[in-house]
Amino acid sequence: MIDVITLFLFNIIVYNIPLLYGTTGEIMIEKSGSLNLGVEGTMAIGAVVGYLAGAKCDSLFVACLVSFIASGLVGLLFSFLTVTLQANQNVTGLTITTFGVAFYYFIGNALSNSEDGWPKLSGTRLDEQSQAIHIPFLSDIPVIGKALLSHGILVYLGVLIAVFMWLYFKKTLPGLKLRAIGENPGAADSLGVNVTLYKYVHIIIGSGIMGIGGLYMGLNMGGTFEGSNCWINGYGWISIALVIFANWSPAKAILGTLIFGFFNTLRVQNAALAYTFPDTLGWLIKIPSHFFSALPFIITLIVLITSSLTSKGKSGEPQAIGRNYYREDR
Amino acid sequence: MRKFHLVRRADASLKRTLIYYAIGILVSLIIGAVILAALGINPLEYYGKMFTIGLVGNRYGYKSVEGLLKIFVPLLITSLALSLSFKMRFWNIGGEGEFLIGAITAAIVAFNSSGLPNFVTVVLMCLAAMISSGIIGVAIAALKVRFNTNETLMTLMLNYIMLYVIRYIGDTKADWNFFLREDSERPIFGTFPESAFMGGIPIGKFKLLWAVIIAVLLTVIIYVYLKYTKQGYEISVVGDSSATAKYAGMSVGKIVLRTMFISSALIGLAAALAVSSAGTISETITNDVGWTGIIVAWLSKLSIPAVFVTSVLISVLQYGCQAAATQYPAIDVNFADLLQGIILFSVLVADFAANFRLMKKEEAK
Repeated sequence: MIDVITLFLFNIIVYNIPLLYGTTGEIMIEKSGSLNLGVEGTMAIGAVVGYLAGAKCDSLFVACLVSFIASGLVGLLFSFLTVTLQANQNVTGLTITTFGVAFYYFIGNALSNSEDGWPKLSGTRLDEQSQAIHIPFLSDIPVIGKALLSHGILVYLGVLIAVFMWLYFKKTLPGLKLRAIGENPGAADSLGVNVTLYKYVHIIIGSGIMGIGGLYMGLNMGGTFEGSNCWINGYGWISIALVIFANWSPAKAILGTLIFGFFNTLRVQNAALAYTFPDTLGWLIKIPSHFFSALPFIITLIVLITSSLTSKGKSGEPQAIGRNYYREDR
Repeated sequence: MRKFHLVRRADASLKRTLIYYAIGILVSLIIGAVILAALGINPLEYYGKMFTIGLVGNRYGYKSVEGLLKIFVPLLITSLALSLSFKMRFWNIGGEGEFLIGAITAAIVAFNSSGLPNFVTVVLMCLAAMISSGIIGVAIAALKVRFNTNETLMTLMLNYIMLYVIRYIGDTKADWNFFLREDSERPIFGTFPESAFMGGIPIGKFKLLWAVIIAVLLTVIIYVYLKYTKQGYEISVVGDSSATAKYAGMSVGKIVLRTMFISSALIGLAAALAVSSAGTISETITNDVGWTGIIVAWLSKLSIPAVFVTSVLISVLQYGCQAAATQYPAIDVNFADLLQGIILFSVLVADFAANFRLMKKEEAK
């Protein structure tokens, strides 16, 4: 019984950390006043390119680095089109998603059909390095040790990124300037902040973070490419929803990931829970799994509506979000 | 410090825009050709196959045209509808969700229509789909108008909620679920009764579905509506500046609500025509038109005649890739989406080049 609960907690983290990467990456971008709807595509490109490079060099570090760079380049494309060329953010972002997911399938199918085939993960050093690390003593604590402290390095990295980003926004001068740009780029510009540079840097870094999340998903799926199922599997979209749920705060994003992750895990494990606790949780089996899949979006829709009904002041939504900044229109 | 800066051209001409766009598309096709060549495929042959959508030397060529039109009709109507809302700068990216609502409603009518005459059934399907999608559109518009809720994110959530609704319907065997075939153990969407099938005019072996004629007529109607009616004019004023519209005494809220109703209802209509033409409903019935429609609308700069032309081209691209895939198994059908993305990126650059120019700092002063 305790095993079921431990496994449940463990799975919440293992399967949903990519959401944290996607969400923190998107928060960084949105804080600069840009709405990037290309999370799904950015993650897909980072995943496939990073995985292939990692498999080639047999190193997790290379995989992460290349994921970050590949997705960062997608971020560069987004910045170039929307910041320099003033293209519409919604359209550019959505096209990045179409393009990125198509890129994933295209590369994957081309490689799978080639002579060498798709590189396998099992048994490689890359696989070994991405496995859970056993921390002496800590990992041995009952329940908590297994559920929270027996994970791969990328899980901890994701949490670290969120914490550092939270500190960056709250405590540092560049973080303050970034938030100012998101609220009112004209005002920030007139105070001598280089709006263009700030937007570029943060969009690129944010996209790079998403890429590592995509890589994590690929590694978590055992690195197998399936012609019909994308590794990212809608997590990019849930991340966009989670940004709203977390009220644009990287710290709340950790909490949000756990909550959305809870529903996600409930979807997969409802049968196990209902079987273990037939009296209290037997009803779980009756709830269709699609309801749990839709739940993040339903919750976000409700959050969107209720937060617009109540006072605007508390919302962390950057005021200039979605609008391009063109100096001469100021 | 910086030697150059960007200036919006005051003299942006249609001719220059068209030339730049053509260059942009050409560059994309060249990038596509490089990808094809890298995979050891002759790009000219592939493009040849793609752009003729497998018509040449094919005894069943009429089937290709029918297949192309099945992609074209929903895409055209959805793109037209999205252009309407984008013209007011209302970011309705919920095309997928609105389409699914329409499709489900039309299917409800269709599955319960046995005994009714064909014409009545199809009209009922269209009306039901338009009303249900339209109501959702109005609800979102109302939240936007009244509470300034972010419509981009709301419509985005709608897409995914509806996706899981249709998956639920498609996966759940139950007594109430008339969507599924009764004679199958596994959940499979059933076929509509005869009465719910889209009719058409037979031309030889080819059958020109009414849906195609409706789509073309709609293009003309929307063009006239935007260009020559008061309501169409109001949309463009709200899009330019809602402050101006208010000052001119227009009721901005009413215009937004009305236009969003029309926009969503049209997407519902597209869905009804699509399910009726297909004779069934499926999880993939949208064929991503909600997303592709946004790209089409944007590539066309929200101009109605351009939407028509772009819809034809994108449909050829998509259907052509499917047709060519039978001959080139190494090239995945996702090549269409890949190329579509590259085209949009290039055209965004081209659009910028057509509308801005670099000026030296001194010159500007």
